[in-house]
Amino acid sequence: MPQHTGTPVILALDAGGTMTDAFVVDDTGSFTIGKAQTTPHDESLGVVESFRDALHYWDVTAEQAGPHLRAVVYSGTSMLNRLLERTSDERIGVIVTAGMEDYLQLERSVQTYAGYAYSDRLHVVTHIHNEPLVPRARIKGVRGRVSFFGEEVLPLYADEAKEAVNSLLDQSVTAIVVSLLYSYRDPSHEQEVAKIAAEVMASRGVDIPVIVSSTSTPVRGDLARLNTLLVEVYAARPSRRQLQAVGERLHSELDSTAAVRVLTSYGGTVSPDHESLVSTLVSGPIGGILGARRLAELYETSNVICSDVGGTSFDVGLISERQVATRTEPTVARFLLAIPTIAMDSIGAGTGTRVRVDPAVRRVTLGPDSAGSRLGMSWEPGGESVPSITDCDLVLGYLNPDYFLGGSVDLDPDRARKAILEQLAKPLGSSNVEETALGVVRLLETEMRDHLMGMILGMGYAPENYQMFAYGGGGPLHAAGYVGSLEFQAVRVPSWAAAFSAFGCACADYTYRYDRSVDILVPPAGSREQVLGLLRQTWSELEQRILADAARDGIDPKEVNIVPSVRMQYFGMLDDLEVQVSSQSGDAEQVIAQMMVDFDSLFEKIFARAAKSPESGYFLTKAIAVGTYPTEKPVIPEFVLGSKTPSSSAEKSSRKVFEGSWREARIYEMDELTSGNVIAGPAVVEAPATTFYVPTGYQATLDRFRVFELTRS
Amino acid sequence: MDQATLADLIDGKLPWHQLKEVLSGNKDIARFDLYIEVLQSRVSFKETILLPLGEHLYVVVDASGRRIVKCDCGYEFGPVERNWKCASAVLVRDSDELLEEIYDPWNRCDPSWEELREFYCPGCWSLLEVEAAPPGYPVMFDFQPDIDTFYQEYLGRPVPRS
Ligand SMILES: [Zn+2]
Repeated sequence: MPQHTGTPVILALDAGGTMTDAFVVDDTGSFTIGKAQTTPHDESLGVVESFRDALHYWDVTAEQAGPHLRAVVYSGTSMLNRLLERTSDERIGVIVTAGMEDYLQLERSVQTYAGYAYSDRLHVVTHIHNEPLVPRARIKGVRGRVSFFGEEVLPLYADEAKEAVNSLLDQSVTAIVVSLLYSYRDPSHEQEVAKIAAEVMASRGVDIPVIVSSTSTPVRGDLARLNTLLVEVYAARPSRRQLQAVGERLHSELDSTAAVRVLTSYGGTVSPDHESLVSTLVSGPIGGILGARRLAELYETSNVICSDVGGTSFDVGLISERQVATRTEPTVARFLLAIPTIAMDSIGAGTGTRVRVDPAVRRVTLGPDSAGSRLGMSWEPGGESVPSITDCDLVLGYLNPDYFLGGSVDLDPDRARKAILEQLAKPLGSSNVEETALGVVRLLETEMRDHLMGMILGMGYAPENYQMFAYGGGGPLHAAGYVGSLEFQAVRVPSWAAAFSAFGCACADYTYRYDRSVDILVPPAGSREQVLGLLRQTWSELEQRILADAARDGIDPKEVNIVPSVRMQYFGMLDDLEVQVSSQSGDAEQVIAQMMVDFDSLFEKIFARAAKSPESGYFLTKAIAVGTYPTEKPVIPEFVLGSKTPSSSAEKSSRKVFEGSWREARIYEMDELTSGNVIAGPAVVEAPATTFYVPTGYQATLDRFRVFELTRS
Repeated sequence: MDQATLADLIDGKLPWHQLKEVLSGNKDIARFDLYIEVLQSRVSFKETILLPLGEHLYVVVDASGRRIVKCDCGYEFGPVERNWKCASAVLVRDSDELLEEIYDPWNRCDPSWEELREFYCPGCWSLLEVEAAPPGYPVMFDFQPDIDTFYQEYLGRPVPRS
């Protein structure tokens, strides 16, 4: 390895349940990856160890690197695990509108099958209620009612609120969550409950947090709203101390002055001091989209389909007209949450997907479960008893048993072959292991292609207008297969595919986003003054919160770029879409008219022109403000294009691969290839963390950014 | 699936994550035989079980090769071609008083429109089946299993003759 010369400037962290990965980028765009065990009692220990591990490949100590760090981005699963495993110490008490106390027992049906494979969604007997985060005895109802229009229909029964607070305190709750019906229209009842709670607590000498929905999540949809508050208190906030400690340790031990930022599900970062941490609950596949957005800038393309093949899932996201679609009510860990989230669709198909034959109908079934980090039967220590996609890739010759994860994991092709013969080939009435394995891989790739097509066509787009980026550990291996006959503008496989998500995390800016339900009807005709007035009032409220956040995080408010947007729908329809307000210049008529035009054209793309129905007017569901502050990003180095022929040192050997018949494939070492090299299939390009398979009839050209472009030859 | 897991499944003792696996998983051909094995080990009679017919009830083949319906206590309901309900003890709840033994007054049906028929085993008094039907409606014949086709075409072997 050549002497390392750059200065490490960015540290992106991915703290999983068992391992913490550190992705370190220097000022020239080179990067290195380290690993250390996650230390749940104090995550900062694992973080520093992982950073050290990454740096040792460059022969740099963490003490040397620390002072030069300019950005630290964290994403992790500890909050999610706390939620999934129900291990929080929080004892939450809840106050809701009387009559609504059974929210968590009733749920909404979507929560009883969230996360299931499609077959089980239809298979009602498998649906099951969630274990409530708060037992029924700690959920209290208080009478009083505000209507959908924000009018007080029934005054709040203050004595009941007092009784509820007392009863919850008697049960030693550690926090009280208040979520009343339509409080986002008129918060006065919630504020009254909060005031009563403060008085009762003062008189009892207790001081616990009281979280009020109209302040933290002022949006319509009461189950998702309540869930969001509960998950915030139950799972997210307990991590705040841990996140702050990461920055403190980097500072005290390594003399770093970089602020630690946490990745959110809407694709930006916030500081650990941010009031609402629930938005950082899930950020796993988001990194890839951010990386793709960065890469899209380099290729000056505005439409990209991002495909991420991991061990357990195939995640697909779209960048259209440089915009990433956002959903506002995702289900996370089987809870509907009111948190804006980058739209991604996943299916349970990855390299670890377990393969079986249904004995009753003699048909191959893929997953939906996965061997995950246990890889498959070819890795004996994993203890798997069912063959996986990795086993199939191995017997087909696509994977090198002696160079898997750089040779640190020994795969046994004979074990894979035996498992495929016994468990798949024979039940299918065949004795041909390779034919069977190839059939399985093609089935997987067909499922992936269907998923891609569903996503693109479902949105009313055509592959011809999109570039496809394939990444994740298994992306380069299966890209040619799942792209198949789809005619994308280009198919690009970054040479750093396996670390692409981490790279994307490192690209994330400071982003503060606030949503608020407004529910404003815009009739087909009439003055727009009042509509815009209401919007502007809400936007300015949200803007104040953004500026306050920026000030807290030590950012000059003048440097924050705030973009207002709305979510809107045709009056009477169910789904809303997000529209950025491109210009606020001109009078109210012009601003609102432009919003309608932008919405119409977005609606046309996503649904159908014929379904447009502006005749009853428009309905503005939410006002949104997003404030962005750019941060240090990884440089993507540009190389001079050289020879088409790879150097002799790049071609390591050759190996037989099975593509219906055995073919001799050239084997290359990815690190030895240089920009401009053209690889003709059949070929396999190997790197420690990933394998890129170029089938017969394809060629791959390594471009100036060290991204492969896969084309048919 | 092994015998112990299947026994837990029958007893309703399987933890949810395991039960979900069974519900969502493929059905292995061997499971039927395993199921019959567990059922056979739990009944007091010696005849071979051909098919479970409902809670406590089985279709068995007796020594003379006849297919009859039997309760797990050993009580015989006669040939499978006949409705076993006709050989059971029946309680018909067709009055306010009888219905209110098991329902709140505001939750019960109107006995002039609907009655409940409870079928009990005369051997062990287990409740075997309940029907809700309009008064006068004939006793329902739940189903007539096609045992020959099931054995020959699904299991791929002849029906046991004894
Ligand atoms: Zn009986």
